[in-house]
Amino acid sequence: MNMPIEDGNNNLRYAEYVLGVLDADARAEVAHEVLVSGEAATAVALWQRRLMPLADTIGDVTPAPYVWARIHDALQLDAPARVTPRKGLWDNLQLWHWLGIGASALAVALLVVVSLPRPTPTPAVVSAGYMAATIQQDNGSTGWTATMDLQHARMVVVPATPVAFAQDRAPELWLIPAGGKPISVGMIARDKPTTLVLDPALLAQLGPTAALAVSVEPIGGSPTGQPTGAVIAKGAIGTAPNAVGKVADTGRTQGDRILRSLG
Amino acid sequence: MSVSSPAERDELNHLLQQSGRNDQHAFAELYRRTSSKLFGVCLRMLRDRGQAEEVLQEIYATVWRRAASFDAAKASAITWLVTLSRNKAIDRLRQHREEPMEDPSMLDETIDEQPTPAADAETSQEHRRLQHCLDQLEPQQQRSVREAFFTGATYNELATRCKVPLGTMKSWIRRSLMQLRTCLDQ
Repeated sequence: MNMPIEDGNNNLRYAEYVLGVLDADARAEVAHEVLVSGEAATAVALWQRRLMPLADTIGDVTPAPYVWARIHDALQLDAPARVTPRKGLWDNLQLWHWLGIGASALAVALLVVVSLPRPTPTPAVVSAGYMAATIQQDNGSTGWTATMDLQHARMVVVPATPVAFAQDRAPELWLIPAGGKPISVGMIARDKPTTLVLDPALLAQLGPTAALAVSVEPIGGSPTGQPTGAVIAKGAIGTAPNAVGKVADTGRTQGDRILRSLG
Repeated sequence: MSVSSPAERDELNHLLQQSGRNDQHAFAELYRRTSSKLFGVCLRMLRDRGQAEEVLQEIYATVWRRAASFDAAKASAITWLVTLSRNKAIDRLRQHREEPMEDPSMLDETIDEQPTPAADAETSQEHRRLQHCLDQLEPQQQRSVREAFFTGATYNELATRCKVPLGTMKSWIRRSLMQLRTCLDQ
């Protein structure tokens, strides 16, 4: 056989292997060759270097936290079972866009995740890990969704539909404990996700009896430490329920009570 | 994640090498920094979150076992990881060959993987070079190469999806690959 052609054909097979167009049998053949032949391994590595940059355009998607937990368990690692992806949950715009639409579904999904392994439901909020709230405007449409990561003391607030504000006004987020005064969580963006750090005092107040509300304030925040402008959206915080199906109901009822008292 | 800075590339190389020495913290950090990228790749190819999660789990189990064989002189860690991910995803696709993607709308959706200008600015120099070479191909052939790369489809599946004879698809892809090699190796 003529060497140059042979070289060409083989090289094509390696290229096809890397591109991924070969069927299972042909793939297995090349994979075997790579293991036993240095030449094949080099040719394949070259093609990988040529073609793999295409993957640059594939967007990041943060896997659910339990994936690492499973890997951790399967490999019997000693390192901490929790890993927070650096460009993860909190920065993933795709996820937040999706969240803006399906916040309640997410709240339920998160609660399913956190509550499934627990045979007896614990009222302790801290054990749940995550909490979520849909902050609704008076017209019933979702203004923002908030997801709270208790372990990392963070809250991400995502606008579902940008709300219009006067030029010198901005939305401020408040936590309202049952029977308590609103506590400022921070200023939030009206058109993009905002990540807020929750200090221990705030964290201690988070729970199924608390609610979130958004008021219209001067750009720098309320000058008084209490809401000074109109409350334009509010929502109850959902947490680990006795039964997952009850999440929305229990959460909403308690929240509504608080919100009515807020006026 | 586009690993475009050389410093970041070196860090990932180091983390993968450390993982090869059974350094669990390095492995956890590697996961933290690469799992979103690899999960994106899996999801893109498998189009099923549950399957992508399973494959991602397999990928990192393999990384942990095989990290010692990683040779930074041959490939960067991110290339190594993306390659491994695509291989695992393709293996999974081949196992489930009886359920081909027949939804024609999928083709339109998958065909256009051109980066937006903003995203393009973040991609690596290598990607821009490859893109430049892809742009020299006939539009249909470029689309076939992209479709193949992003969906892990076989020649047969590609031919069906693009409604061309198998021989045509093979010659499109092979010619494209040769042209790409010539262009990239210049």
